[in-house]
This record gives sequence, structure tokens and C-alpha cells, in this order.
Amino acid sequence: MKVYLDNNATTRIAPEVLDAMLPFLTERFGNPSSFHSFGSDLKEDIEAARQKVAALLGADAEEIVFTSGGTESDNTAIIGATSINPLKPGFVTSRTEHPAILETAEYIKSRGHPVKITEVNSDGTINMNSLESCVSEQTGLVSIMMANNETGVIVPVAEAARKAHASGALFHTDAVQAVSKIPVDVRSMDIDMLSVSAHKFHGPKGVGALFVRKGIEIPPFMLGGHQEKGMRAGTSNVAGIVGLGVAAELAVKHLLEENGRTGLLLERLEKGILEKCPGAVVAGGDAERLPNTATVLFRGVESEAVMTLLDIKGVCVSSGSACSTGEQTSSYVLSAMGIDDVDANTAIRFSLSRYTIGGEIDYILEVLPPIIEKLRDISPYANR
Amino acid sequence: MWNYSEKLMDHFMNPRNSGQLMNPDGHSEIGSPQCGDAMTLDIQVDDEDKIAEIRFMTFGCAGAIAAASALTEIAKGRTLDEALGISNDQIVEFLGGMPEEKYHCSVMGHEALSTAIDDFRHRRDNTAEHLECILGEMPENLAAAVGEGIINIEHVHPVRVYVSLSEGDNSAVAAVLESELRKRAGKKVEVGIIR
Repeated sequence: MKVYLDNNATTRIAPEVLDAMLPFLTERFGNPSSFHSFGSDLKEDIEAARQKVAALLGADAEEIVFTSGGTESDNTAIIGATSINPLKPGFVTSRTEHPAILETAEYIKSRGHPVKITEVNSDGTINMNSLESCVSEQTGLVSIMMANNETGVIVPVAEAARKAHASGALFHTDAVQAVSKIPVDVRSMDIDMLSVSAHKFHGPKGVGALFVRKGIEIPPFMLGGHQEKGMRAGTSNVAGIVGLGVAAELAVKHLLEENGRTGLLLERLEKGILEKCPGAVVAGGDAERLPNTATVLFRGVESEAVMTLLDIKGVCVSSGSACSTGEQTSSYVLSAMGIDDVDANTAIRFSLSRYTIGGEIDYILEVLPPIIEKLRDISPYANR
Repeated sequence: MWNYSEKLMDHFMNPRNSGQLMNPDGHSEIGSPQCGDAMTLDIQVDDEDKIAEIRFMTFGCAGAIAAASALTEIAKGRTLDEALGISNDQIVEFLGGMPEEKYHCSVMGHEALSTAIDDFRHRRDNTAEHLECILGEMPENLAAAVGEGIINIEHVHPVRVYVSLSEGDNSAVAAVLESELRKRAGKKVEVGIIR
């Protein structure tokens, strides 16, 4: 049996998405920037997709810029927004952001921008007092992720946005993991910029979007042609954009019902694990979390050993962030929550999708407990 | 997934010599700050200085567990000096190869073994010191039991010693030494008399 519970790493393409994309990879291969109608007709398909993405975010179509994905959207927002006002070059973000944010923060810091990193609470939520003390008149942009990729902990971004706006800073949120799993509304949340990635919600890889609120002008990150009204150079990834549009449409359609169902499956998984695996504890378990994500610390048992045995059983999960695989470093997200290195090295992330079925959860609850028991039996940390 | 050999996977899934010994002659607990792995190792040493029993516990990845299992298999039955000479390459070869990124896993087992052997030797030296002290002081009851005989230390193990006695009362000498050693070393040490 193959059980895929690594949907925060990537998801399967929805059949509807693939069907919608195929014509643009075959007969309708034109370039929308061309003069001839064979190419320029594709603009309509792109604009239709833009409408769908806007609808998912509660935005207007003209506020959506298509990019190559979450990382490019994050890069564009940070590098752009901290460069528009020389009096406000500062950037504030949190310790548990995705590397697409943190590495970019390091980069602009090396270019002379003041960068401040806020602390998080032990449940993974943002420490609002720490955030408030980091934001100053100098701050041009505050970026706080809407939901964490490792723990699924949801951040009240509206509150963070208020703190940013109080100092005249713009507010960006990396909503890559949140979009399609919880309702997102850029207006009521008072968000200025927001990053989205298609492959995290059953769209294709290599395409995403950046929402930029009307009235905000940031320079493009990719330089070249005049695509995306000069906001993003490079020949439009038509098939990808169309796929993102359909994925967004499906996300809207399934938002409430499917997430309720996924949430129940996650609850069953968590409850079963805590019952059957001694030493197990859910990271950020007390905080509000995405309905699809649980990171469990199997205390006393090293996570890679667990993943290796699960892999044999056909179960795909990850330890901490997928990006850290191959490096021998514990998760900085869990460290920021005050979890020590030994416990952080026991973390396994389970992330579900709307394609996850009850039988898969039952299968995991059958194969996982003996694996944990077997490894605990030979662990010097079993009773730590 | 790492590309692990069949033999490595076998040692990971069916680790040999895992667990703890009730009364180890040498024990070590080590952690690798490099990757967060940790390990305990227990050894029992026979009177020929060979590793008679060995048990390990490991907190670590498949490579670390398999490397520890392999190390115990290679070390078992060897003398302490031979065991100290086991190289990481030998462990890797025993396991039919290992991804290069995992080589460091085998280093921890080596450190655990040498620390356990150090612990064994430390315990042995401690017993030897007490024994030498007793023979040097020659308390009255021991002198009475030895009589005109000559007593010499033949072999010392942390919890077993052998002395040779040319004449005198074997069982009385053994009883006196055992009771003195218990008093001074704070543990039960068996005494064997060789004639």
C-alpha cells in the first residue's frame, strides 16, 4: 500500500487541473505576447486564471501577478517592498518562516538593510510583543507567514498586519501552506502582499502568484519583457497558470467541506498516535493549526530511522522541513519553539490532502506503533 | 531514501546484540554533537581479556543503528586490544558499503567501544590497587591464613582476581581477601586461588 502523507512538501495534480493544462502543452502552444491571434488569444485564458486566483484570495484580478512559485513571490515582495522608500529600508520577519523568506532577509541584510527577527511562543504562534518591539519607523515591510509548513500553526496575520501598519510598514504574508486549507481574505485580513504556490494545492509545480494590493508599486524581481504589466518578465507559463487557476477554483469549491473531512482524519491520526505510541506529543498541539498538518515528536526515537521503516511500508512522511533532508541539522522551527535538539530530532510531519482517505490513516495506525516500539526498545533516550 | 545495502538494512531491522547487560564490566554513554545521535555500550570481558558479551543501545538513523550492530558483531570474541583496532572502514565493509554521508555514523560506535574499554580498565585498575594494598598491609587474619606460604597476584579483573599461594589455607585466604576487597572496593570481588 502506498500512503502519501507529505502534502506540505507537494501534492498530486488534480485530474481537472491536468485536463485543463494539456491543450496548452499540445495544440495551443502559442506565446500570449505574440501579435497573431494563435498566441494572443491565450491572454484570455491567462486572465480567466487570474480571476480564479483573485477569487480564492478575496482580491481583484488586477492585483494578481503570476510567478514561478512561492519562493519567487516571497523574493519579489521582500526585495521590492524594502527598496521603494529609502527612509523605510527595514524588514521584520519571524524565526519560523520558510527559507525563501529567511534567506532573502539575510541577503538584504548583507546589502545594508536593517533586518529584525521576532521570537515565537512555545506553541509556535508569533510573539506579538516581540513583533511590536521589532517594528519601527524605519520598517518598510513586515512579513509573517499565515501558517507554518512544519507545524501547521496558524498565525493571526490580521493582528500582525495592524502592528505593521501602525508604523507605516507594508505587510506581506507567505500563505503558501495556508491557501486552500483555511479561508483567506486579503481585505478583511488587511494584507498588502501575499504569496501562493500552485503545487501545494493540487496544481502544477513551477507556478505561483503574488498578490499586490492596488496602489502599491514595487519594482519587478525578474527583469526582461513586459509580461504581467511589467511586474514579472519572462514568457508566460500558460499551461502552469491555467493549472493554477483551476486549482484555485477547486480550492474554493472544496474549502469548507473537504477541509472539515481532512480535519477529522487528522484528528483520528493524532488521537491514534498518542494512544498507541508512548512518548509521542504533537508540536504546537495547543495552538490553532491547519486541518491537514501534524508534527509529532516521537520522543526517544530518531526521525530518520522511523522514516526509513515507514518507507519500507510505503508510507511517505517527512521530518521537519523537506528542505533540510540530507543535512544533519535539527529543525530551526522546532528550536524556535523551545524544543531541544534531541526531541527536535524525533519529529515526523504528517500532512494530509483532500485525497487522503480513512483507509490510509488506519494503515498508518497499524504499521507505525510497532516501528516506534521497536526503535524505543534499543534507544538510550526512551525514558528521557 | 538513502541507498543502503541489503546487509545494512538487515542489521538496522534486526540489530544484533542490542540492549543492556545486567552487570557490565565496562559501560559507556556517548553522544555525537555533530548529528545528535547517542549510544550506550556494555561489555563483559573474560579472563583472557576477550569481549565475551556486548550490548548496545542507539538513538540514531538506520546507518547509526546498523553500524553499532556491526561493530558489536566484529568486536565480540576479540581481545580488548584487537577490538580497539577495529576501523570504520571495517564496519563499512562488513555492512556491504554505506553512503558516504553516513560514514560519520560508524565513528560513534568506535568511540563508544573505546570508552567502554577505558571504563573496564579503570575498574580493573581500581580492583588491582585495592588488592595490592591489602597484600602490602598484610592484615593479621590474612597473614595467619597464608602462614609460611608466598602469595602473588596472577590475574585481575574488575570483579574477579586470581592469586597464587605456595602453601597455607586456600579457602581461608580467599575468604579474607573477599571480605577485605568488599570493605575497600565496595563491591563483591571473587577470589580464585591457584596452587
